[in-house]
Amino acid sequence: MSLSRREFLKSSAAASAAAAIGMSVPAELEAAANQAEGDWRWDKAACRFCGTGCGIMMATKNGKIVAVKGDPAAPVNRGLNCIKGYFNAKIMYGADRLTQPLLRVGADGKFDKKGKFVPVSWQRAFDEMELNIRKALKHGGPESVAVFASGQYTIMEGYTALKMMKAGFRSNAIDPNARHCMASAVVGFYQTFGVDEPSGCYDDIELTDTIVAWGSNMAEMHPILWSRVTDRKLSNPDRVKVISIQTYTHRTSDLADTEIIFSPNTDGALWNYIAREIVMRDAAEGIIDWDFVKKHMIFAAGPVNIGYGMRRSDEKSIKEGKYTAKEMEIVSKEMKTIVSKKEAPALEPYGYKAGDTMNHTPGTLAHWEISYEDYKKSVAPYTLEYTAAIVKGDPDENVEVFKEKLQQLANLYIEKGRKVVSFWTMGMNQHTRGTWVNTLAYNVHFLLNKQAKPGDGAFSLTGQPSACGTAREVGTFTHRLPADMMVENPAHRKIAENKWMVPEGTLNGVGVQHIMKIHRDIEDGLVKFAWVNVCNPYQDTASAEHWIKAAREMDNFIVTSDGYPGISAKVSDLILPSAMIYEKWGAYGNAERRTQHWRQQVLPVGDAMSDTWQWVELSKRFTVKDLWGEWAPSGPRKEALPSVIEKAKAMGYSENTTMFDILFANKTAKSYQLDQKDTIQKGYDNSEGYGDSRNVVGSDGKVFNGYGFFIQKYLFEEYAAFTRGHGHDLAPFNVYHKVRGLKWPVVDGKETAWRFNAKYDPYAAKATKESGNSHAFYGTLAKALKFGTLSGMDAKSEQKSLANKAKIFARPYMDPPEMPDAEYDIWLSTGRVLEHWHSGTMTMRVPELYRAVPEALCYMHPTDAKNKDLKQGGLCWVESRRGKVKARVETRGRNRPPRGLVFVPWFDEKVFINKVCLDATCPMSKQTDFKKCAVKVYKA
Amino acid sequence: MKTMSKITIGLAAVALLMVGCTEQAPKPSVGKKVSTIVSEESLGLRKTDIYTEDATISDKTEYRSAQATTSTKIKRAFQDAPPMIPHDTTGMLPIKTDDNRCITCHMPEIAGSMGATPIPVSHFTDFRPKGKIVNGKFELPTDVSKNEVAIVQEDKLQNARFNCSACHAPQSQGNLAVENTFEAVFTSKDGSNRSSWAGGKLTESLDTVGNESFITKDDIANKNSPAGSLGGAAH
Repeated sequence: MSLSRREFLKSSAAASAAAAIGMSVPAELEAAANQAEGDWRWDKAACRFCGTGCGIMMATKNGKIVAVKGDPAAPVNRGLNCIKGYFNAKIMYGADRLTQPLLRVGADGKFDKKGKFVPVSWQRAFDEMELNIRKALKHGGPESVAVFASGQYTIMEGYTALKMMKAGFRSNAIDPNARHCMASAVVGFYQTFGVDEPSGCYDDIELTDTIVAWGSNMAEMHPILWSRVTDRKLSNPDRVKVISIQTYTHRTSDLADTEIIFSPNTDGALWNYIAREIVMRDAAEGIIDWDFVKKHMIFAAGPVNIGYGMRRSDEKSIKEGKYTAKEMEIVSKEMKTIVSKKEAPALEPYGYKAGDTMNHTPGTLAHWEISYEDYKKSVAPYTLEYTAAIVKGDPDENVEVFKEKLQQLANLYIEKGRKVVSFWTMGMNQHTRGTWVNTLAYNVHFLLNKQAKPGDGAFSLTGQPSACGTAREVGTFTHRLPADMMVENPAHRKIAENKWMVPEGTLNGVGVQHIMKIHRDIEDGLVKFAWVNVCNPYQDTASAEHWIKAAREMDNFIVTSDGYPGISAKVSDLILPSAMIYEKWGAYGNAERRTQHWRQQVLPVGDAMSDTWQWVELSKRFTVKDLWGEWAPSGPRKEALPSVIEKAKAMGYSENTTMFDILFANKTAKSYQLDQKDTIQKGYDNSEGYGDSRNVVGSDGKVFNGYGFFIQKYLFEEYAAFTRGHGHDLAPFNVYHKVRGLKWPVVDGKETAWRFNAKYDPYAAKATKESGNSHAFYGTLAKALKFGTLSGMDAKSEQKSLANKAKIFARPYMDPPEMPDAEYDIWLSTGRVLEHWHSGTMTMRVPELYRAVPEALCYMHPTDAKNKDLKQGGLCWVESRRGKVKARVETRGRNRPPRGLVFVPWFDEKVFINKVCLDATCPMSKQTDFKKCAVKVYKA
Repeated sequence: MKTMSKITIGLAAVALLMVGCTEQAPKPSVGKKVSTIVSEESLGLRKTDIYTEDATISDKTEYRSAQATTSTKIKRAFQDAPPMIPHDTTGMLPIKTDDNRCITCHMPEIAGSMGATPIPVSHFTDFRPKGKIVNGKFELPTDVSKNEVAIVQEDKLQNARFNCSACHAPQSQGNLAVENTFEAVFTSKDGSNRSSWAGGKLTESLDTVGNESFITKDDIANKNSPAGSLGGAAH
């Protein structure tokens, strides 16, 4: 439709003024409404779902949630939610909530891996967990006890799990589903800035002139951010440009001025093309802001032959033949590949040509400084011709038209005075070169001095509600400790040990059991006990059949804590009923560094208790003697973990002191008082603090009467201590309960809008006091580098400090390990839909959301469907080398792929698409690439 | 306060409720005594085994086919919940910048005659404060430490609410995967089919900690939090 439609919109809107105002609720009715709401209690809370982190207002009546509305005071969403946001009201009321522990038992009532589930007491549940953890510790030490953690934990839950795992069990085998979601973004941040998390904030949207969505369907996955983008675009349609860069057409493209359909995995080439335009045209046009670049940037490179994050040939399950010949066709590429014609020009500056064998070594974070001249060489291959040839993703699009779009894209970035924000999420993160693509995004913005400024910046969005707040900031990753500290750094371990009042040497310095490794370690028989917290790893992990088989058929004990029985619960040996989000006090941290707290709104159902409670109760079962003795080398740890029992005694603990007394119910903790006079606590339940009227019989067989102190505040404050004073500062607990979240670093009660920018960030202001520079990229990780070239590091070169500088990386385009061929002839991409969250355990139980999208469809191009004899609405098989599922064909839906690609979302238990996907990861970040593998699609 | 009574531990005997998962399809059965053996297949949404796919088929989408002018409205899920779409949307989606078919019938001045649900006042209300550059620095007019709002009722449909399908969706017919026990309570007589969120209601109850819903110096000082600092150990 032409412009006239919009004109109609405008004029009809204007004409409707009177009518619209007339719509207000009449005064009498409003008064009546107020009266009726007299027994409603409204409180603020954070949305349960995506990383946008909207604020909601939630009403309860008689201990039940009765309504949700958008919070007009919440800066993120200002009075508006998306469909999922509103239906937070119903997510806890699915009729099949888990209400009591369920254990698999045999006829004799004893645990039996092959048995059916029966309800058991919390005491029995903890008895079984304790027994099986002891068995696992005996088998392989701390490395045999693992946790599937989450970016949906509350901050307090994540901190509790982390503390008990790392300080109690001395195990680093805890890693979140957030690994699947933004690990590539994290490594990109660490490599580029030396510190995690974005420089910008959502206000960038109202301030920018250009929004570029890179492989991200923001319209469905971050709908409220998209409403802000839409507002910006429609408010100034001529100036503001929206570019949608995608592998298939979807709702985000519906608002765009230009859509660029690229072939899966080639987004890196597209970034390099833009960089090449900048670099090659600079001499003539003066494009690069050299003053900024010289003061703030260095150029860097790393090895390229780093594999694809799959299993290597020396791993146990590979040697034992647990992978079929079909699977090995792809898995074998982990060891070596032949350089293809497609990737050869990109790899030429690194010393490779087509047909060369590339021997891969395991992914490494190593990198070194290079000259600008070498960087220039790295982008030289990305001419318009080469880029268009490999990037164009729609076979039906004219290449000349496509080239024009690429030129337009580069020019929009380059245009002086034009502000640009680049957004991405899973497309660039779930990628076998995810870390690289993330760093490539910053390159373009840095060269143009369009980063960390209002309206300008490359902005990594997160998927989960607390991927930032919990997973990344608390550090529930195998390699991390709170606030950007690392387990491998002895100084960081010491800081944590001091704070946690545990002996020096308690913490385990080897942290490599990332979430894929935990699955693989279960399959290899190293991990014998695994606990699923606030995630669904048996539905959400690629090559799913392997992990399910390992869980069900091997000698191990799998526990799932959840609100509802999902796939992970089904394959578990023990299922624990968890309190859901508004049944407990909590906090989340969103994608713009905003931390948001909420109070317990209602009591949990049945005997459900929070994950915090479950961890704290477990801690009562283990003593100093049980956990802090010497542990022989195990799995990835090649040295013994020393006994710290004597040191513990010197600190005043005995061999029989429990982890509960040391880590959770210590003297400091007990100073946080429950107080119904406190304005924050007044009138609100605290099931962990007081117990509650359900009189739940707890882990010792007695009614749980509460810990008697304000445990959530203690946990948050102790965690926040790690963040304060070094650029990560979180505000006091009470502050968060009074406002709609604050963006850290919060210094003297004031939040930070643009990080690293001296005008806005007090830490940057301090770092630039003498230099007068505009920015300080003050992250400290990998901020001293040796020198080298694109082909390698000069080991003899001197290590140079890069304080306050960021890095521009040379990174080539490379093929993913599996691409369509004659047999598996079509790309498969997976992802979400607006109405469902992740594996659907909550949203499929909300009638409105279920009815909106009751099934996962196989979205495909009508011509592909026709050529494969498939009918709209008919059933097809989607089959890869790893597995197959049935789904209905959709050729006219909201997702409109080009020929050669199908999209199947993963929320539907009945369309178990992760059986089909490949567990290749970015070898640096270990994040799975769910966005591409090769399949065949045929009639079912 | 009502919640206080819940906090007080009662003297009632401990009652373990056998709730939830039975061999049959789960029902909202709070308090009901059920079979204590639970098979893996009976749990969750997928009632077929998870080890093979031959017998597993997704729940077919069956959107309503009634045309826009003849469909029966779907009741709102709760007070001021976004209404769902009761009619066929073929040819109406996707929404594009120059093609939004929803507003051709749902604009308030037209809706009545079309029998359509009128777009409510909230959609004509601008909630977002507009920032500006002051002394070279971007500032918003609202003070976050006081939860300030900036609400302006306008005569034009707000651009932020242009993507109708972000909140309103068509509904498939047939059985639910699982029942939901949420109970709506409407505060206005016609709350199940019209929005009441306007005027004074927009800002009602926003001060969630009463008169102290703003940050004080004492809050920032955080004096009574012994766990809240590292005590000089920098990193």
